Amino acid sequence: MTDNETRPDGGTASRADADAEVEDIDHSLDVDESANNRLDPEERQSVSRPTEKHDDRKLVTGEAKYTADYEEQFPDLAHARVRRSDVPHGRVADLDTSAAESMDGVLAVLTPWSEDVPDAKYTSAGQSYPEPSPWDMQVLNEKVRYVGDPIAAVAAEDEQTAEAAVGAIEVEYEEHDHVLDAGEAYSEDAPHLFDPEDVENKIVGHDYERNRMASIGGSLGDVEAAYEREDTHVHETEWETIRQSHAQVELHTTLAYTDEDDRHVVITSTQVPNHTRRQLAHLFDIPIRDIRVKKPRVGGGFGGKQAMVVEPIPMALMLATGRPVIYEATREEEFQAMRSRHPMKVRAKSAVTEDGDIEALELYALSNTGAYGSHGMTVAGNVGSKPMPLYSNVENVRFEADVINTNTPQTGAMRGYGAPQGTLALEGHLDEVARDLDLDPIELRQRHYMEEGDVDEIAGMMGGEGAKRVIRSCGLDECVERGMAAIGWDEIEQPDAEHLHRGVGMALSAQGTGVAGDELGGAQVMMNEDGSFHLMVGGVDIGTGADTAFVQIAAEVLGCDERDIVVKSSDTDNTPFDYGAYASSTTYISGRAVKKAAEDAKGKILDWASRMLGEPVEVLDTADGEVYSEATGASVTLEEVGYESVYGDETREHILGQGTHSTDESPPPFAAQFADVTVDSETGEFEVNKLVVAVDCGVAINPGMAEGQIEGANHMSYEMATNEGITFDEEGHAEVADYDDYAFPTAAESPSIESILVETHEPTGPFGAKSVAEVPTNTVPPALSNAIREAVGVRITEMPITAEKIREKLSE
Amino acid sequence: MEIELTVNGTPTTIEAGKEADLATALRAVGYKGVKCGCDGGVCGASKVIIDGEARMACGMPAREAEGSDVETIENLGTQDDLHPIQQSFVDHFAVQCGFCIPGMIMEAKDLLSETPDPSEREIREAIDDNVCRCTGYQKPVEAIRDAAGRLDGGGVATDGGTATGGGTAAGGDHCD
Ligand code: FES
Ligand code: FES
Repeated sequence: MTDNETRPDGGTASRADADAEVEDIDHSLDVDESANNRLDPEERQSVSRPTEKHDDRKLVTGEAKYTADYEEQFPDLAHARVRRSDVPHGRVADLDTSAAESMDGVLAVLTPWSEDVPDAKYTSAGQSYPEPSPWDMQVLNEKVRYVGDPIAAVAAEDEQTAEAAVGAIEVEYEEHDHVLDAGEAYSEDAPHLFDPEDVENKIVGHDYERNRMASIGGSLGDVEAAYEREDTHVHETEWETIRQSHAQVELHTTLAYTDEDDRHVVITSTQVPNHTRRQLAHLFDIPIRDIRVKKPRVGGGFGGKQAMVVEPIPMALMLATGRPVIYEATREEEFQAMRSRHPMKVRAKSAVTEDGDIEALELYALSNTGAYGSHGMTVAGNVGSKPMPLYSNVENVRFEADVINTNTPQTGAMRGYGAPQGTLALEGHLDEVARDLDLDPIELRQRHYMEEGDVDEIAGMMGGEGAKRVIRSCGLDECVERGMAAIGWDEIEQPDAEHLHRGVGMALSAQGTGVAGDELGGAQVMMNEDGSFHLMVGGVDIGTGADTAFVQIAAEVLGCDERDIVVKSSDTDNTPFDYGAYASSTTYISGRAVKKAAEDAKGKILDWASRMLGEPVEVLDTADGEVYSEATGASVTLEEVGYESVYGDETREHILGQGTHSTDESPPPFAAQFADVTVDSETGEFEVNKLVVAVDCGVAINPGMAEGQIEGANHMSYEMATNEGITFDEEGHAEVADYDDYAFPTAAESPSIESILVETHEPTGPFGAKSVAEVPTNTVPPALSNAIREAVGVRITEMPITAEKIREKLSE
Repeated sequence: MEIELTVNGTPTTIEAGKEADLATALRAVGYKGVKCGCDGGVCGASKVIIDGEARMACGMPAREAEGSDVETIENLGTQDDLHPIQQSFVDHFAVQCGFCIPGMIMEAKDLLSETPDPSEREIREAIDDNVCRCTGYQKPVEAIRDAAGRLDGGGVATDGGTATGGGTAAGGDHCD
């Protein structure tokens, strides 16, 4: 396999001339929007109504089934555990499994050399094909690169036996020097994690002599010339982010078995069923058609399950034992051996004139991808390509990133996907510039941020589809205005106590909606004779409420009650193809496929109704479970159409609607964040009084669910600002083993969050929708840093923000 | 070993290993609403009410439950007839992935039986050891407040709307 090309948005290379000037607009300014896509609020029957989340009744009664709840269907279920490396870097010199093998109840012990263990290289990143992540991993490893790298796997009759057997495996290591810090790893004399021949599908800019798995960049105009100009002030700031854990409450869990038709079934807690099926087929050299990946209810993902993290282990053990096998990770493994957010150092630089014209803007990111490169290049690309286009009016822009392997657990996709790191640097930097030049921080932003109708070239400056992107919806003005009002921007009262200081800070953010030019969703609507429908959709609900949004979209088109739609999703044997739940794509891409499928079915319904009513199709429409004539008022029910179409005397038809959606568009949603903080200038202690975040997500298909997404994302963002994340001792052992070590902000420690939905209409989205769930993840670190700067005059650039750091700065 | 206890009002005999924790034992006999999200005693997903008090079932050896009265989420409403706390969670969009929810609802039930009209602060303190990664706690707190009104029969917010902010915010211990 040859080297992969850069595709910073998370997609696969399609453009070698990344830096070449783009002459043509990739897609036209006009969008062919069907009349039914833009509904006035009072016309909406299902969309933007507070429809009850369709799985909620099962969830609140405890009846919903997650992967581990399938156990009871398999009386002969075996349990898996994994032996992981105790050293940060080395080679397994000897592995003695005899004691483990002879234990009662042990069914199989697999090592890197076992026949049933694939030795193919792969990446765990759940991305399109060929993956824009290097194939640098193996299922079980002779060469180990972090404390926690899997070495051996056991299947046993029960979990305790498996655990004991794993402990009984004796490992001898040949230890190598290790390196934990990205900056150190990037130096000439650091130990090497990889020989170049260890890696297939290498990524652009790789330089394994310096532990660099990728390097990417892009620019517009001439930033250097702007720095040289006499009328500009050049500012440079540097920022640092934490290694954040997804910490989703449901552990990574997979149950694998072979069914009565000899097909391999994998029930798994995943965001990417179709990618996982393809990756398993590659690893085990089994045809794709013989693998079935089935997603039950999922207890949260946040990107941590946009990867095939654990699936190969139970699959290998199932093949070795001939028994169904379940592997449920432990919480310790979650923190130490699953995935996390890439910790980064990001440098921001700008040239700004005295009166606040931003002439140049630049970000440089040094990213620590950990031992393996999954999502390394694409996350780094998003550090620039998501936040920087906010200021699409700036003419000279540059972004570069180096992505470095270290002997720490591998990182991966996480909600925000690089944008949080870039947003901290960009929005913190602009605040500093505004203060230094005595400019209003909001006005400085407003003068440069994008507006509806703008053509943005920044998102595409590193290559990929949509190199010039037309902004078709933008609610930034309203987000700022309503956010300011909600936080009381102009009316902050100082506390009476002299040592207490209150300040508000703000930050803006843009994300994307799906990966431009690299998404696909499919859906099918089948009509039943009673006028109800089955909606088969590949889109993946991981607790977000996507299934509910799909039903609302379909019901709006079909004019039926939402309860008359049975949704079946994410089972690769039964539902159409879908790239999966990532890049904020689900409602926009899969939802648009649902809309097309419903429209296709509706066309057929109207044809039947036209014959039944003896009226032309043009005067017919559906509503309230009926097809009615706008001309005469005559109507037939969907049930009558259903029976007639299936059991009719003359002709018969099963009404099936199909839709598939793919696009070069990736419209940005926007957020304006406000943080209100009180700081004690004696101790540095601070209290966040309130967070306000206003989000333009187009038309919210379900406002209650959208608010929930915003609040959850903002809480995660707050954690990024105030929590240490996963840290390591010098020997590379993670210092976090459970939630209480992780110091996750609990209910009592979390500020109240006010979410504001700002409605715009995105013509390329289903009924005007664009994404919502990622953009509010990006904004609390800069807004809080800016608020503290406002309150007590000190700037914290290195996350997390702590009382100690504030106190230290205050005493300087 | 055999353990005799009452689960959801029914005298039950559970066969469990000596070391088995109560969460695993309850799950094994079908109470799958008891969830496990950590390596024991931290995340709150396995909360059940034991002799009137919400506790993490995984943090308790099954044998210690001998003779206890245990209530799990399965004892609350059914899908067609939700308990007011469950209904309030649904109405407030307080449920996302749902994995933490049974444990949180059991804690809420315990809270509301002792403190029928809790403040926002009291609610936040009560669910302080229920990890929820999805919601940011905002809507669950609103749902529990509204549920208090529903159980009380007074001051019910029937519109599923947002409970008032209440002015109490962060505890402040996040900053040390
Ligand atoms: S599993 Fe019981 S508290 Fe986490
Ligand atoms: S709803 Fe997902 S963890 Fe709480």
